[in-house]
Amino acid sequence: MSGVLITAGYALDAVADVPLGHLPEAVQARAARAERITALTLAAAGAVLAAARLVPEGSTGPSPGIGVVLGTAFGCFLSNAAYQERFADGGPAAASPRIFAATVSNAAAGELAIAYRLAGPGVTLAAGAASGLAALGHASDLLRAGQADALVAGGVDALGAPLARWLAEGGLPAGRPPAEAAVLLVLEAPTFARERGAPVLGVVLGHATGFEPAPSGEDAGNGLAGVVTAALEEADVRPPDIALVVSAAPPALARLEAHALARALGPARPRIMSPKDTYGETFGAAGPLGLLTGLGEEPSGAPVLVLDVCASGHVAALVARGCQP
Amino acid sequence: MPVDDPDRAGALALRAATEAVTTAALDGIPPARMGVALGTTLGGMLLFERWMAREPVPRPERIPYYAPAVRLARMLACRGPVATPQLACASGTHAIALAAEWVRRGRADVVLAGGTDFLCRFVVAGFNCLRATADMPRPFDVRRRGLVLGEGAAIVVVEEEGHAARRGAAVRARLAGIGCAADATHMTAPDREGGGATRALLAALDDARLMPEAVDFVSAHGTGTPYNDAMEAVALARVFGVGRVPVNSIKGAIGHTLGAAGALEAALCVETLARGVVPPTAGLETVDPACAGLDLVYGEPRRHTVRAAISTSSGFAGTNAALVLTAP
Repeated sequence: MSGVLITAGYALDAVADVPLGHLPEAVQARAARAERITALTLAAAGAVLAAARLVPEGSTGPSPGIGVVLGTAFGCFLSNAAYQERFADGGPAAASPRIFAATVSNAAAGELAIAYRLAGPGVTLAAGAASGLAALGHASDLLRAGQADALVAGGVDALGAPLARWLAEGGLPAGRPPAEAAVLLVLEAPTFARERGAPVLGVVLGHATGFEPAPSGEDAGNGLAGVVTAALEEADVRPPDIALVVSAAPPALARLEAHALARALGPARPRIMSPKDTYGETFGAAGPLGLLTGLGEEPSGAPVLVLDVCASGHVAALVARGCQP
Repeated sequence: MPVDDPDRAGALALRAATEAVTTAALDGIPPARMGVALGTTLGGMLLFERWMAREPVPRPERIPYYAPAVRLARMLACRGPVATPQLACASGTHAIALAAEWVRRGRADVVLAGGTDFLCRFVVAGFNCLRATADMPRPFDVRRRGLVLGEGAAIVVVEEEGHAARRGAAVRARLAGIGCAADATHMTAPDREGGGATRALLAALDDARLMPEAVDFVSAHGTGTPYNDAMEAVALARVFGVGRVPVNSIKGAIGHTLGAAGALEAALCVETLARGVVPPTAGLETVDPACAGLDLVYGEPRRHTVRAAISTSSGFAGTNAALVLTAP
């Protein structure tokens, strides 16, 4: 199967004030008045689009071949909370049109599409902390189906007091400190990337997603094992050829993940790393962050297996390899 | 209907999905080959409203948008891909498109796909403050003033062709093409020129390898807001020609069910393929001159042979999606 090319990647994490200085003035203005998740998305998108040299400087017309596929576990949770607080305090008359417009989870991707006139396919997906790989996978499928030439794809989740309270009350057992990140890649159809002479960081070879209903029990891990096997088959990569596995399980699901890897990889014992031990749980951004971290470790040629595992039940796997000299 | 379920979106979706599973006789499908693609704009908002007010909430894990899909996957033993497309009022259409992509890529044999949403204070106040609501929905009418909110859930079973044939499934329609595109112009107002809607329609037709002339019926988004309907009139006349193809909107009859709307409208297209009848657009009496380029069905149902139908949806943040459905 033909791969999808990664022509740029950018991770924005652990920032107090979202850096906006690198953005064009009009985009800065959009980001400055937007909700936090949108500001994070615009800041990461500006950097990754510049790195990919995808949108010509000063271009104002729509680009129908370029779109956005974003994964987010919580999307507009914080906007919903802000809207609801005003509404609870002041009644229907206090409902804010500006905030209501941001109470859809595709607001961040929509603002990004408007800011850079990306008029191709636009999709926002939620799949718990596996949203990021689900988005990269769907973006790859859209490119392979010829529905777009290039996609800004990845994951983002913003943190704030209401979400922190919900997490602290056990809404989603993450097992690690929640953290905030926006991690975006530019994915391109090979012919499009070659024709425009784009830099190539890596190739997405295959992916799969699935659902694990229970953290323990007779079948726990079999679903993830099937997902890993499906991703490797699509990638045409055999388990002994994997150079690195990027682990993702919350501590409570570590045994499930280990069982799945043993079942899917057999006797192969690739190196395993866990970026979440460094970055914390970044939810929708975790998979794309794991991918960039993995490609940083194995930049040239050897396949990397990246996992997303969430207590919600969502699981995902993606196989990629780096193409840097 | 378990109306007292505090997770109303999940309960509505589960009811629809259970019916779909029974109607399609889906017993015995390996769980790993069954997926869920369920769009929603409100998800666990009823729980969220209570939780924000610091009232006790029975299942706080059902607050996030992904929760209704999780509930379906758990209750109906789906272990394949499970995701929640979040594309505002086009979520249901995007969910069916996502299911199609999974099935074509061999990621699942069967996907429960659709959307679910309900009425609550949060969303009613929101559309009111945008001055986008009316007392009566009148899609494409000269007197239309806005949308009327509804609620519901719709699930379609999207299945791989060979898989359906092997198990002798009753095929209701073919999902022949999918397309989506962004306006990239404004967060709440549609592109006046219908740019994104046009691109989504053309992408879906291209995907289905059909010329616009082959389409016999269009299920419009038709919310009854002044801008949406005018935008759609521009896009549909541009793609299909002036007055050439019958168009309706069921939102005049059932209101705007947000994330469920696209899935309900896909189900309507399946029914028009089967019955050869296009239902009228309720609430439409005098066609707006700005929409005169459309052959709108209103007043009475119209007998009409439909071999190919297209359903189109649009939403906040400039999202657009379209599905082409053809007779089996």
